[in-house]
Amino acid sequence: MAKKKNGWGKKQRAVIVSGVRTPFVKAFGKFLKLDSIDLADIAVKSLLERTDLSHDEIDSIVWGGVILPSLAPNIAREVALDLRLPASVEGMTCTRACASGLQAVTLAAAAIERGEADVVIAGGSDSTSNAPLNLPQKVVHALAPLAFGKAATPADYLGVLSQMMPITEILPKMPKIAERTTGEVMGESAESMARRNEISRAAQDHFAERSHHRAAAAIASGRFDEEVTPVEAPGGWVYADNIVRGDTTFEKLSKLRPVFAKDGTVTAGNASPLTDGAAAVLLMSEEKARALGYKPLAAFRSWAYVGVDPADQLLIGPAIAIPKALDRAGMTLEDMSFVDMHEAFAAQVLSVTKALASKGFAEMRLGKSEAVGEIEEDTFNIYGGSLSIGHPFGATGARMVTTMANELARTGKETALIGICAAGGLGAAAVLEAVH
Amino acid sequence: MTDLLLENENARKLIKTLGLPIPVPEKLARARGPYEERPLDDKTVLVCGTGSLHGVLAQILTKAGANPWVIGASDAVLEPYIGPGEAWARTPRRVEPGDAPEGERVDAIVFDGTGLESPSDLRQLYDFMHPWIRRINRSGRVVVIGRPAADAKKPARAATRAGLEGFTRSLAKEVGANGTTANSVFVEEGAEARLGPVLRFLLSPRSAFISCQPFHVTNVAKGEDAPETHVLGGKVALVTGAARGIGEATAELLAAEGAHVVCLDRPADDGPCSKVAQRIGGSVLLVDITDTDAPMRISKELKERFGGVDVVVHNAGVTRDKTLGRMQPDAWDMAVDINLGAVIRITDRLLEDAVLRPGGRIICLSSVSGIAGNRGQTNYSASKAGVVGFVEALASKVAKHGITVNAIAPGFIETRLTNAMPVAIREVARRMSAVGQGGKPEDVGQAITFLATPGSVGVTGETVRVCGGALVGA
Repeated sequence: MAKKKNGWGKKQRAVIVSGVRTPFVKAFGKFLKLDSIDLADIAVKSLLERTDLSHDEIDSIVWGGVILPSLAPNIAREVALDLRLPASVEGMTCTRACASGLQAVTLAAAAIERGEADVVIAGGSDSTSNAPLNLPQKVVHALAPLAFGKAATPADYLGVLSQMMPITEILPKMPKIAERTTGEVMGESAESMARRNEISRAAQDHFAERSHHRAAAAIASGRFDEEVTPVEAPGGWVYADNIVRGDTTFEKLSKLRPVFAKDGTVTAGNASPLTDGAAAVLLMSEEKARALGYKPLAAFRSWAYVGVDPADQLLIGPAIAIPKALDRAGMTLEDMSFVDMHEAFAAQVLSVTKALASKGFAEMRLGKSEAVGEIEEDTFNIYGGSLSIGHPFGATGARMVTTMANELARTGKETALIGICAAGGLGAAAVLEAVH
Repeated sequence: MTDLLLENENARKLIKTLGLPIPVPEKLARARGPYEERPLDDKTVLVCGTGSLHGVLAQILTKAGANPWVIGASDAVLEPYIGPGEAWARTPRRVEPGDAPEGERVDAIVFDGTGLESPSDLRQLYDFMHPWIRRINRSGRVVVIGRPAADAKKPARAATRAGLEGFTRSLAKEVGANGTTANSVFVEEGAEARLGPVLRFLLSPRSAFISCQPFHVTNVAKGEDAPETHVLGGKVALVTGAARGIGEATAELLAAEGAHVVCLDRPADDGPCSKVAQRIGGSVLLVDITDTDAPMRISKELKERFGGVDVVVHNAGVTRDKTLGRMQPDAWDMAVDINLGAVIRITDRLLEDAVLRPGGRIICLSSVSGIAGNRGQTNYSASKAGVVGFVEALASKVAKHGITVNAIAPGFIETRLTNAMPVAIREVARRMSAVGQGGKPEDVGQAITFLATPGSVGVTGETVRVCGGALVGA
């Protein structure tokens, strides 16, 4: 290996060189036969091809995922092995719910900044279509003596059967996005946030409509071509995101029924759908990038991860994380050229923006005398978001970093803010800056 | 014996079905687990009154998780609630004065009476609460807030302020049937910042068996910002008589808040006392508190083994009941010495040796018998009334060190002692309280725990009755 390593602990700037993702596809659809590792393989392979990066240069892979394959949870390492990268390309997989993708990218940036590595591939993937259906613990415990114990008599079998009643308790449970501590399904949390923050159904549907229209326009204009790779799935080629509905209207969205409460406001139209997909980002030290002839797209100026009580407002985290990241960057919301916020639910995004605009919130929750600020519509989620593009949990953060980094490089603007809410009451935010 | 009307579902159903003229007491909602960030999570609290505390109330209530409904003729009344409402996503709702809308119910009513000047202003109590008083959910709460009468310059104003207490005491008797309590809080000018923990306690299930009780919140004792959860983290607490009953319940609750509890009892009670200490991860101190060298030994042990103590709960006590004419002298001596003499000797020693640290909390056990009197308890009542005088006098002396001194006066609590009472007397005693039942040791423990928290700094020199608003007791 001709590689010359930087010294441990050497301070260097981490830059984003490139990013690419698979199309984001509705779960149980065209990517049904591709699991989380397959999707990750595709994204990383495409990233390597597009950047024409010598495999010898890669130090490591950091991957984010939420529904991890239980038999091979370290996706990062599996990718390196699948793609026959040098055995020295080590890998780790992290999970921080819907912020897992951003977590992987910031871990990579931190490793580079510390001089631990020079070239890191980071990203995330999830395949809701391949979520394992677990046998209830009751069944496992009842069957274990038969399967792993001494030779069983007919009486033993009868004994096991008697433990299996009622039948509903032993059927495999459908996976659902519910909080472990509160049992609340995430849609119910969004519903309660809508109610408590007085986010109307109309406001949610207007926001969803805008998200779809903006994403559709971005796809039509070819804006995503540089960051989305076509995928040859078992059923044929997939070229583009297939959840976005360019022809949807506020009227159509208004007709959908609420899903989580009888007189509720959260519908399939203003909530992000279950999605399959992967996204990968290439990060390097600035020195290394320039030495290899790459033009950096952007760099991290700051990031912040926070936690709030999941039994209160599960998805309000970004309203705390964003001001924290801004403070760390020494900047204000006004300084941001673009704001990209993960759209888990329209109700959640609008609750967060309402909190950011509130003086009372700033005073009592942040210890600030002024509101964080209002986000201008023409800089906010300019290409739509998870509502329209889709939300493969682990991939979303890497998608957002890629799109914002490209946008800074494309427009010559200076800064972009990313905000993500996540299960468990987590919030994440990051400030990207242009690299000149 | 268990309370049939409370514990036996068949008896409860039978009485209701037959329409017997026996009032069936409400099962009181009680707190589970340690202090939480939002003790009033999603509770609807109706706020009314023309006082100056709405800004403070808005912050306390929304942060505690309550949804504030504010009575007022225009949206101007909502103004103080907007900012805090946005901060905690608890949007205030305005309620028109006059009749309560059909079908609407609330979990608590808070009346801000700090603006009352003259007796005619007391009419506000009627106007605001009359439409809503029968719309309070089970185990609800009424808290009436005012300024201390003693601080008023004009006698008429003092009279008005004092009126709030009488109103609340009578109201407590009316709302008790569905488990609702009513208490008053008198806040000294400038002590508003100390109101929060008191309201969080009084509006929560932790105060289930406290009713008819006035609280005074003052700036007397020095104090700093207090935690809202894990409220006794890093503190050392001494509980005397910790082997069983109220002492045991208190030790458990203090430990759940993070305190290291030193369980003290007589050497003869080594077994049960050690069990309690082991269960809660505390320590054991076996001392007979009537021994001459007991204060010295307790002080020395606390200093050497724990570096000092932050909370002292004088719970150990005895009854030696006889009418005065039949009482033997040793019965008198024993009751007065254990219940009062030892309490004073130990406290004095801990203060002298500076073993009780700054910001400390002293909580003594009094009794409603000491306040109201009880046949056959001249000795006991003398000692328990003595405790009331002791905490009043000591409070001002130690306030500069941030130490508070309070007494708890339990009413009818279901313990070994009360189980030994004759059935008829026990049944009468239970039903005499406003909530129509006896309390549990944990109810007393909750009150003690509250007075042990840093947040209770505004309350000192007080005697808090935990009697469910019993007929006896001032």
